[in-house]
Amino acid sequence: MSDDLILSLLWVVPLGGSLLILGLPRDDRLVKSFALGVSVLTLGLAIWVFGLYVGGANPPAVSALRDRAAANRIAEADQVGGAWQVTDVPGDLVVRHPWIPLFNIEYLLGVDGISLSLLLLTGLISVLACLASWTIDKQVKGYFSLFLLLLASMMGVFLALDMFLFFVFFEVMLLPMYFLIAIWGGENREYAAIKFLLYTLFGSALILVGILVLYFWGGDATASVRGQPFAAHSFDMMHVAEAASTTSFYGVPVQTVVFGLLLAGFLVKLPSFPFHTWLPDAHVQAPTPISMILAGVLLKIGGYGLVRLAWPLAPAGAYAWSGFVAALGVFSIVYGALAAMAQTDFKKLVAYSSVSHMGYVTLGMAAMGLFGRDGSIDPRYYAYGVNGALYMMLAHGITSAGMFFLVGVIYDRAHTRDLAKLGGLWNVMPIYGAIGLVIFFGSMGLPGLCGFIAEVFVVLSAFHFNRLLAVVAALAVVLTAGYILWTIQRVWLGRNDHWKGLPDMDRRELVIAAPLVVLTVVMGIFPQAILSWASPSVERMVTDVANAPTVRAVEVADQAVAAEQGPAAEPDGWVELAETASRR
Amino acid sequence: MSEWPGWLYVASVLIPLGAFVVEALFGRWLKRFNAYLATAAIGTSCVLSLVGLVLFLPHFGTTHAGAEAASHHAAEHQAASEHGAGHAEPYAWRGSVPWVVIGPMGVGPEMPGRADRGLPPLVIPLGIHIDGLAVIMFAMVSLVATLIHVYSMEYMRDDPRYPRFFTYLSLFCFSMLGLVASANVFMVFMFWELVGVCSYLLIGFWYEEKKNTDAANKAFIVNRVGDVGMLVGLGILWSVFGTFTIADLNRALADSSLRDEQHRLTRVVAGDELTLQLSETSLDGDEPTPRPVQIPYGLLVIAGLGIFAGCVGKSAQFPLHVWLPDAMAGPTPVSALIHAATMVAAGVYLVGRFYPLFTHEVLLYIAYTGGITLLIGATIALVQTDYKKVLAYSTVSQLGFMMLGLGVGGWAAGLFHLITHAFFKALLFLSAGSVYHSVHTYEMPVLGGLRSKMPRTALCMLIGTLAISGVPLLSGFYSKDAILASSLAFVREYPGQFLLFVVPAVGAVLTAFYMFRMWFLIFDGDPRGEAGQGHAEVHTAHSGVASGVDAEPGTADSGAAAHGADHSGHHNPVEHAHESPPTMTIPLLILAALSIVVGYPLSLLPLPGLGAEWTTPVLERAIESAEPLPALDVSETKWLALAASIVIAAVGIGAAAGFYSRWRIFDPASARRGLAPLYEFFTRKWYFDELYELVLVRPTLALGRSIRDFDLRVIDGVVNGMAWVTRRVSDLGGLFDRYVVDGAVHAVALVLGGLGLVVRSLQTGQVRAYLALLALAVIGLFVGMYAWVR
Repeated sequence: MSDDLILSLLWVVPLGGSLLILGLPRDDRLVKSFALGVSVLTLGLAIWVFGLYVGGANPPAVSALRDRAAANRIAEADQVGGAWQVTDVPGDLVVRHPWIPLFNIEYLLGVDGISLSLLLLTGLISVLACLASWTIDKQVKGYFSLFLLLLASMMGVFLALDMFLFFVFFEVMLLPMYFLIAIWGGENREYAAIKFLLYTLFGSALILVGILVLYFWGGDATASVRGQPFAAHSFDMMHVAEAASTTSFYGVPVQTVVFGLLLAGFLVKLPSFPFHTWLPDAHVQAPTPISMILAGVLLKIGGYGLVRLAWPLAPAGAYAWSGFVAALGVFSIVYGALAAMAQTDFKKLVAYSSVSHMGYVTLGMAAMGLFGRDGSIDPRYYAYGVNGALYMMLAHGITSAGMFFLVGVIYDRAHTRDLAKLGGLWNVMPIYGAIGLVIFFGSMGLPGLCGFIAEVFVVLSAFHFNRLLAVVAALAVVLTAGYILWTIQRVWLGRNDHWKGLPDMDRRELVIAAPLVVLTVVMGIFPQAILSWASPSVERMVTDVANAPTVRAVEVADQAVAAEQGPAAEPDGWVELAETASRR
Repeated sequence: MSEWPGWLYVASVLIPLGAFVVEALFGRWLKRFNAYLATAAIGTSCVLSLVGLVLFLPHFGTTHAGAEAASHHAAEHQAASEHGAGHAEPYAWRGSVPWVVIGPMGVGPEMPGRADRGLPPLVIPLGIHIDGLAVIMFAMVSLVATLIHVYSMEYMRDDPRYPRFFTYLSLFCFSMLGLVASANVFMVFMFWELVGVCSYLLIGFWYEEKKNTDAANKAFIVNRVGDVGMLVGLGILWSVFGTFTIADLNRALADSSLRDEQHRLTRVVAGDELTLQLSETSLDGDEPTPRPVQIPYGLLVIAGLGIFAGCVGKSAQFPLHVWLPDAMAGPTPVSALIHAATMVAAGVYLVGRFYPLFTHEVLLYIAYTGGITLLIGATIALVQTDYKKVLAYSTVSQLGFMMLGLGVGGWAAGLFHLITHAFFKALLFLSAGSVYHSVHTYEMPVLGGLRSKMPRTALCMLIGTLAISGVPLLSGFYSKDAILASSLAFVREYPGQFLLFVVPAVGAVLTAFYMFRMWFLIFDGDPRGEAGQGHAEVHTAHSGVASGVDAEPGTADSGAAAHGADHSGHHNPVEHAHESPPTMTIPLLILAALSIVVGYPLSLLPLPGLGAEWTTPVLERAIESAEPLPALDVSETKWLALAASIVIAAVGIGAAAGFYSRWRIFDPASARRGLAPLYEFFTRKWYFDELYELVLVRPTLALGRSIRDFDLRVIDGVVNGMAWVTRRVSDLGGLFDRYVVDGAVHAVALVLGGLGLVVRSLQTGQVRAYLALLALAVIGLFVGMYAWVR
C-alpha cells in the first residue's frame, strides 16, 4: 500500500465508520462491535505507519520531516489548463496534493516521531475508550458515530502539515466533543459543553489570526528558502517554519506577536492557568470514556500545537517570551496541584492534576537554555526539556486516561465520586486497588513508572534555564505526592463497611486497564524504547530553533541590556542564583 | 564491566526484582509460597554478595591505578599531576550501559554559523560502582535482610496479607541493593524514591487504621521534601557538569590543588570560581579525557546542601526527623530492616559516597545537623514509655552520630558506625518484636521481669543494649569511639567548634542511660502488670497506658481484638509470656554474634592491603581504604577518646541502674517532678509536629482551598460574566435587528411592493408581450457579454 493512501486512511477510516454506523440496524451490540472494529483498525493502521516509519532499508525516520515534505512538490505545469504536476516521493510518509490552489492551501499530511507517538497514543486510547463505552445505552448509534468522528478529527490534527487543514481538523473536533458532553454527560452537562466549546473557539480564533498573520506577512524580500525566494503566502507548516528558523523574513516583532497568539490559543487547549477552568467542568460532566479521550488525547493537541506550530513557526518570539512562559508553566504546576489538593470530588481532583501535569509540558517547552556558559549554542539541555514535555504528553495520556477510567469504575458501582464517602476499597476490590496504586504512582512520578521520566527531564532541563523557576518546579513534587497519597488514602485505604460486597473489576474492565498499567511500567523502565525514534524529531526541532538567526538576535539584545546594567558586584553563589532568576 | 565479579552484584540486585515480579503477578496463587520465594531470592543475593566480599578481600587497600594496566590511566594521571597530585582512587568493580541518550545534536541541515554540530549526546547511564564501601554495605544489607525475612516468616504468620508483605520486602531488597550499587547519583535518586515507596507501603501495611496510613503519608511526604533538595543538587550538577557519575565527579573534586592540608575544600584555597578537570569514564572503555569545567564556589555549596537535604530526609535528620518515629506503625521486622538497619542509613551512605562534593561549610553544616539530631533523638527517647518508640528515637539519635562523624571528617568512623549500628539496631528491633510477639504490648510500665520468661530474647536484647551503649568489647564501642576520636581531632583544630565534641559525648551518656532504662523496665525487676503503674514510671499524660492507640495490631483482623484485650483485661501481659520459636530466635542469635564481632581489631581473613594494626578495628580499616580522600589523622586523640568512651558508658549505665534496676537508689518519679517543664518538652517531642502542622500543613491546605475558590469565584466568575455580557449585547443586537435592520428590511419590502405595483402593469397576460420582453432581455444579455469580453 502506498504511503499516501495509508496516511489518508488514518483519518478516512474512522470518518467512513462514523457515517456507515448511521446506516446499521438498531442493534446496540452490533453498533458497539462495529465501532470497536473501526477503532482497532485505526490503531492497526497507526502501528503499520509506525512500522513504515522506523522499518525498511531507508526508513523515513532518518530524514527530517521538513526535508521529506520539501521533496514532495507541486508545480503548476500548465497555466492555461490549470493542471497540477505533483512530485511524490514514494514511501516517505508525506502526502501533498493541491486542495484550494487559489490560496495555496494543500492537502498535506506527514508524520515524524512527534506526531507518530501521539497518533499511536490516540489510537490506543480510542480503542480503550471505545471498550469503556460499552455501558452507554442512550442513543447508541449517535454516540458511536460522533465518537468515530472525533477519532477521525484527532487523527487529522496530528497528520496535517498544512496549517489550514490543521485548523479545519482542529475545529471539526469541537463538534462531536460538544455533543458527546452535552447529550451523554452528567447533570450539569449543557453548561460544561458550552463552556468547553466557547473556551476552545476563543482559543482557535487566536490561532487563526496567528496563521493568517504568517500567511500575509510581507517581510524581507531577499529571504530565500532552499534556494527559492520566500514570500509567505503559504500554509505549509514545514516551509514557513524553515523560513522562520533560517531567515529573517519574519522579524522578531512579528514573531513575538504570532507566538503570543498561537501560545494563547494552544494554552486554552492544554490547558494552562488562567485558561483552565473549562477542564474540571468538562471532565466532571463528560461520561467516563469521553473523559479518557479528553485527558488522554485532546489535551495533547494543545501540547502538540506548541511543539509543532508555536515554537518552530516563531522561534524568536518563543525565545523572547520564554521566561514568562516558563513561569506560567511553573505556576500552573503549583496551582493545579494545590487546587487538586482541595477537591472533594474524585473526578475533579484528577482533572486538576491534569492542569498541574500539563504545566510540565509548558515548562519543558519554555525552558530554552540554548546557550552554554561561553555563549556557544548548546541545545542539548533544551532537548531534554522538550523530550520531557513530549514524554509528559505520552505518560499523562496513559496515566490520566487510566485515572479517569478508575474513577468511572468506582462511579459505576458506588454511584458517588465524593472522596469523603469512598474509602476502604482495597480490601473490597483488591485488583482495583493494585491497578489504582500503579496508575496513581505513575502519575505521581515514581521512578520506574512513566511520569518520572517526564517530570525529571523537564525539571533538570529547567535548571539549565532558570534555577529559581526550577527550584519551584522541584518543590511541586511535594504537593504532587501530597494530593496523590491523600487520594489513595481516601479511596483505597482505611476501613469502610459501607462498600462491602462491591464486585471487583470484571474482565472487560481488566482488558481496558491492562495496557495502561503495562505501559505505565514499561515506559518508566525503558524510556529509550520511545525516545530512540521520537527524540530525533524533537532534536531537529530544537536545533532549528536554537540556530535561528532571529533567536540569536534576541539573545544579543538581551545581553546588551544586561551589559548596560553593569556587571554584578560579587559573584557569590546566592547572588548568582538571584541573577539568573532576574535575567529573564 | 571492568571485572567479572561486577556481574555478581548485578545478579544480586536483579534477583529480588525477579522475585518481586513473580510475587506481584502470581501472589494470589502462590500464597504462602511467596515467603519462600522472597527469602530464597534475598538469600541468593546474600550468598553472591558474600562471595563478592571474599573476592574483594585482596583488593582492600589497593588503588584503582595500581590494579589496572598503567597505560590505561596514564593520561588521567598526567592530567592530575599537573593540577597537583590527587588522592589515588580506591579500587572498584564497575560497569555501565546507556539508559537514556538524547542526541547527537546538530542533525538539522548544514548552514553557515551553525555551531552545535557534533556535540556529544548527553547520556544518563545505568551503572554499578562496587568499591570497598559498597562491598561491605552490600554484605550488610543482604545479610540483615535475609535474617529478617526468616524472622518475618514466623512473626507475620497469622497476617491475612502475609504474601503481600513478602512482595513488598522483595521490592525493597531490590531497591536497597540497587541504591548501594549505583554508580551515579541519578540512579541513587531513583532507588531512593523506590525504597521510599516501599517504606510507605510497609508503614501503611495495616492500612485499616487511619493512624498507620497517616504515618505512611507523613513518611513519604517528608522524604519528598528532602528529595526536592536532592533534585536541586542533581539539577545543578547536571547543568554544570553534564554527568551524574559519582566516581568521575569525586575524582575531579578530590583534586588536592583545591584543598587545604586537611583535605578540606575551602573558598580560601579553591577561590570563588573552581576549575575542575572532569574526566568521564566512557561507556566503551576508552581512555577518559579530562575537560575543564568551571563552577562558582557558591553554586557548589548549594549543590552540596541540596544533595545533603535528600540525605536529611532519608536519614531522618533535623529538621526532617519527624517521620521516623511515626514510621513505627509498620510491622516490627519492617522497622528493623527499613527504619533502622538499611534504608534510613542510605542518607549517611550517600554522604559518604559523594564525600568530595561537600565543601568545608557544608561539612560543618552536616556535623551540626548530626549533633542537633542526636540530641533531639536522645532527649525524646529518655521519656518514652513505648519501647519501640525508644528504639525509634535512638535510631534518630544514632543516625545523628553518623552524620556528625562524617561532618567532622571522620569518614571511616561514621560509615563504620553505620555498619555496626545496622547489626545491633536490627538485633534490638527484632528482640523488641520478639517481646511484642509474646506480650502484645509496647508499653514498658506494664512489663518487667521478662528475663526469666524469655531468656534468649533477654540475652540478645542485652547484647544489643550493651553494644549501643558503647561497652568495650562490643562493636558499638569501637565505632562510637572512632567518632569521638574524629570529633576530638576536629575540635583540636577548630576549638571554636567545641560543641561538636560535647554534644556527642552528652548524647552517648544519654544513649547508655535510656537504653538500659528500657532493658531494665522490660526484663528486670518483677512483672508489674496494669496494677504496677504506681511504682513504675508513668506520667499523667499517658496514665492510660497500653491504650490501644499505641498498640500494634498483630493482624489486621485481630487488631480490634488486641485493642480490646489491652483495655479490658486488667491482667498481667507478662503472665502468659513465652520464649519465641527458633525461626525468630536464631536470627536474633546470629545478629547478636555479629553485633559483637564486627568491631574486632583482629581478623582471620587475608587482608594484605590493610596492614596489621591492632589498635583499629579491621572493618574500620577496610572501610577507610575506600575513602575518596586521604583519611583524617586521629592518632593524637585516639586514647583520650577511648578513655572518654569508657567513662561515658559507665556513667550512663550506672545512672540507669540507679533509677530503674532492682538495685534502685533514686526515684524516677521525683526526678520527673523536679524537671517537669523539660519533661513535658521532651514528651511533646520538642513540639515539632505541632509547629509543622501550624506553619506548613495548614497553610498549604488553606492555600489549596482558596485556590479552588478562586477558580470557582474569580476565573469562572469572569468567564460567566463575559458570557452574560455577551448575551446582553446579543439581546441588544436582537433589538437592533428587530427595529433597525428589520425596519430597514420592511422598508425595502414596502418599496419593492410599491415597485411591484408598477411592474405589475407589465404583466398583461398576453404571450406576445412576454416574448417581446424575453427577446429584449436576450439582446440585452448578449450586448452586455460582448461589451464585457471586449
